Amino acid sequence: MSYKFQFRDVLAQQDAIFDGLLMTLQLTAGTISLGFVIGLLVASVLVYAKPWAKTMARVYVEVIRNTPLIVQLFLIFFGLPSLGLKLDVVTASLIALTVNLGAYTAEIVRAGFESIAKSQIEAGISLGLSGPQVFRHVVLIPALKNVYPSLTSQYVLMMLATSVVSQISAADLFHAGSIIQSRTFRDFEVYTVVAALYLALSLLMRGGFSVCYRLLFRRP
Amino acid sequence: MSFVELKSVVKRYGQHTVLQDVSLKVERGEIIAIIGRSGSGKSTLLRCINGLEPVQAGEVWVDGVAVHDPASDMRALRAHVGIVFQSFNLFPHLTVERNITLGPTIVKGVSKSDAAKLARDALRKVGLEEKIGAFADQLSGGQQQRVAIARSLAMAPNIMLFDEITSALDPELVGEVLLVLEAMARDGMTMLLVTHEMNFARRVAHRVVFMNQGRVWEQGPSSEFFAAPKTEELKSFLSSVLH
Amino acid sequence: MMRELSGLDLAYLILAMRWTVLLTLLALVGGSTIGLLVAAAGASRQAPLRHLARAYVGVVQGIPLLAWLFIFYFGLAILGYNLPPWVAATVGYSVYAGAFLGEIWRGALVSIPKTQWEAALSIGLNYAEQLLHVIIPQAVRVAIPPTVGFIVQLIKNTSLAAVIGFVELTREGQLTTAATFQPFAVYLIVATLYFCLCYPLTRYSRQLEGRLRVIR
Repeated sequence: MSYKFQFRDVLAQQDAIFDGLLMTLQLTAGTISLGFVIGLLVASVLVYAKPWAKTMARVYVEVIRNTPLIVQLFLIFFGLPSLGLKLDVVTASLIALTVNLGAYTAEIVRAGFESIAKSQIEAGISLGLSGPQVFRHVVLIPALKNVYPSLTSQYVLMMLATSVVSQISAADLFHAGSIIQSRTFRDFEVYTVVAALYLALSLLMRGGFSVCYRLLFRRP
Repeated sequence: MSFVELKSVVKRYGQHTVLQDVSLKVERGEIIAIIGRSGSGKSTLLRCINGLEPVQAGEVWVDGVAVHDPASDMRALRAHVGIVFQSFNLFPHLTVERNITLGPTIVKGVSKSDAAKLARDALRKVGLEEKIGAFADQLSGGQQQRVAIARSLAMAPNIMLFDEITSALDPELVGEVLLVLEAMARDGMTMLLVTHEMNFARRVAHRVVFMNQGRVWEQGPSSEFFAAPKTEELKSFLSSVLH
Repeated sequence: MMRELSGLDLAYLILAMRWTVLLTLLALVGGSTIGLLVAAAGASRQAPLRHLARAYVGVVQGIPLLAWLFIFYFGLAILGYNLPPWVAATVGYSVYAGAFLGEIWRGALVSIPKTQWEAALSIGLNYAEQLLHVIIPQAVRVAIPPTVGFIVQLIKNTSLAAVIGFVELTREGQLTTAATFQPFAVYLIVATLYFCLCYPLTRYSRQLEGRLRVIR
C-alpha cells in the first residue's frame, strides 16, 4: 500500500473537534430531556386517554417510527420555510430530533405502563392511595425501572443518530469531520477519529446510565 | 460390580459442596426411592449418574461405563439411561411422535418406520396412543409427563431415572403418572426415583435412600425404612412430611 | 432552471424505491452472513469467541452508521479500488446489520432454556445434533419478530446512503427538490413512500410477536 496514514494532522485540529463535540453533547442533552417529556406524555395518552386522542397519538408514533430521521429533518429544515416557517439549523435539528425521540420513547414507555399488572394497581387503590399517587408509585416508577435498559439504549442510539444533522450543516461532531477533511485532505483518518470519538461517547453514556440506574432505583 | 455404583463422589458448585463423599450401589431390577429436603443433593445425585453434572472427585459407574471419565462414550451410555425431568422438557416445536422418534432415529440409526412403531408402542405403555400427532402445548401436565416417559422408554433403556417427576403436576394428575411407573416396576425395570411421594415409595420401592447435607444419611428396605427410622434427622424429616 | 412538480417526478420517486429495496436486500444478505457468525460466536462455549463477538457488536453499535459509510467509502478508495458508492454502501450496511442481527440471533439462541439442552443431551444427542434438531428450530421462531423489526430499521437506514451519493429514494428526493424548489411537497412524498414500505412490515412484526406469545 502506497498510502501513508497521517492521524497526527487530524488530531491537531482540536478546535474543530472540540466545538463539534460540544454541539453534539448539547443536542443530545436537549433531545433526551425534551424527548423524554414528550414521550411520557404521549405514552400516557396512548394508554389512558379517550379513543380519539389515542388514535392521534398512535398516528404520531407510527408516522415517525416508519419514516427515516433524515427525511424528517429535511422536511422540517427545507420544507417548512416554503410554508413560511424558516428555522436556523440548530433549532430545526433540535425539533426534528426531539419529535423523533419522543415517538420512540412513547412506544417504550407505553410498553412499560402496560407491563404493570392490574393486580398491582388494585393493591394500590385498596391501600387508600389516590389516583395520582397510584400512578406515580405503582405504575410510573416501576414501569420506568423495567424499561430503563430499552430506554437508555434508545438514548445512546439517538446520540449516534444526531450525526445526521451534519447533513443540514449543523456544526456537530460529524460535521467537524468534513471541516477537518477540507483542511487536511485526510478523508479516511478523519472519519476514523470521529468514529472513535463517538464510540468513546457511547461507552461513557452507557456507563453513566448504569450509574444513574443505581442512584435512581436502588434502595439506600 | 453393581449395575450402578457411586464411590465417594464429591460434587461442588463453586464454593458450595452439594455432594460430600456419596457412595451408593444399585443392582439390576432394583427400585430405589431417594428422599430428602431441598438442597440435600438428591437431584444432583441423579444428574451425576447420567453425566449431566460432572463430579469433582470419586467415581460413577453405570453398566460398566466410567461416567466420571470425560473420555467415556456417553452417547452410547445415554441411549441406555433414561431420565425424566420435573419440568417434562418436551421439545415444543415437535409433535409427540417426533419427540419420541428423535432419539432412536438419530442416535441409534433406527429407520423412520421402525421408529414410528417404537413410538406407538411406547405411547401405548403410557396410555396415550391417540395423542401421537399432538404438540406439547395441547396436552395437560400429566399427559406431557407421560409422553416424556414414553420418550425415554423408546430408547429401550436399562435403567430409568426420575427427578421429582410429579412435583410440578396438579394433584389430580399425579395418579396417572404413578400408574405408569408401577407398570414399569412390574416389568422389572431398574428405577431410581427422587420423589416426595412417600406412599408410592413405601409401596413400590425396594430400598429407600435418605439424603441429608450432601450425604447418604440413612438407607434401608422400604418395609422398615418408614416404620422404624434410625437417625434423628430422618425421624424429623418423616414427621414433617408425613402429617 | 425551476420546473413544476409533476406526475413524472412522482413516478421517478416511486421508481427510486427499487434502489432502496435493493440496497436493503444486499445489506440483509451481507448482514445475515456476518450475523450468523457473530451469533454463533456469541453463543459459543468458548470464552474468547464470545468476547470477540461482543467486541464486534459493541464497536459497530457504538459508531454512527454515517461514520461507517464514510469509513468504508474513503477506506476502500485508499486500498486502490475505484468503486461505485453502492459497493461501499453494501459493505458498510452489511457490517452494521451484521452486528444488530448477530445480537438479535444470539439473544434468541440463549433464550432457549437450559433444560432443552439437557433433555436433548439426555437422549444421547451430541452438541451439533442438539443445535440442529432442538435448539435452532426454537430459536428461529423467537428471532423472527425482532428480525422483521430490524428490517424496517434497515429500510429507513438506507436513506443515509444518499449522503455518499448512492441514488435511492432520499437522494432522488434531494435531486427532485433541487429541480422543482418544492421541498415540502417532495419530502412529504418521500416520507409517505417510506411509510408504505415500512408500516406493513411493522404491523407484520407485531402480529408475529403476538402469535409467539400465544404459543408460549
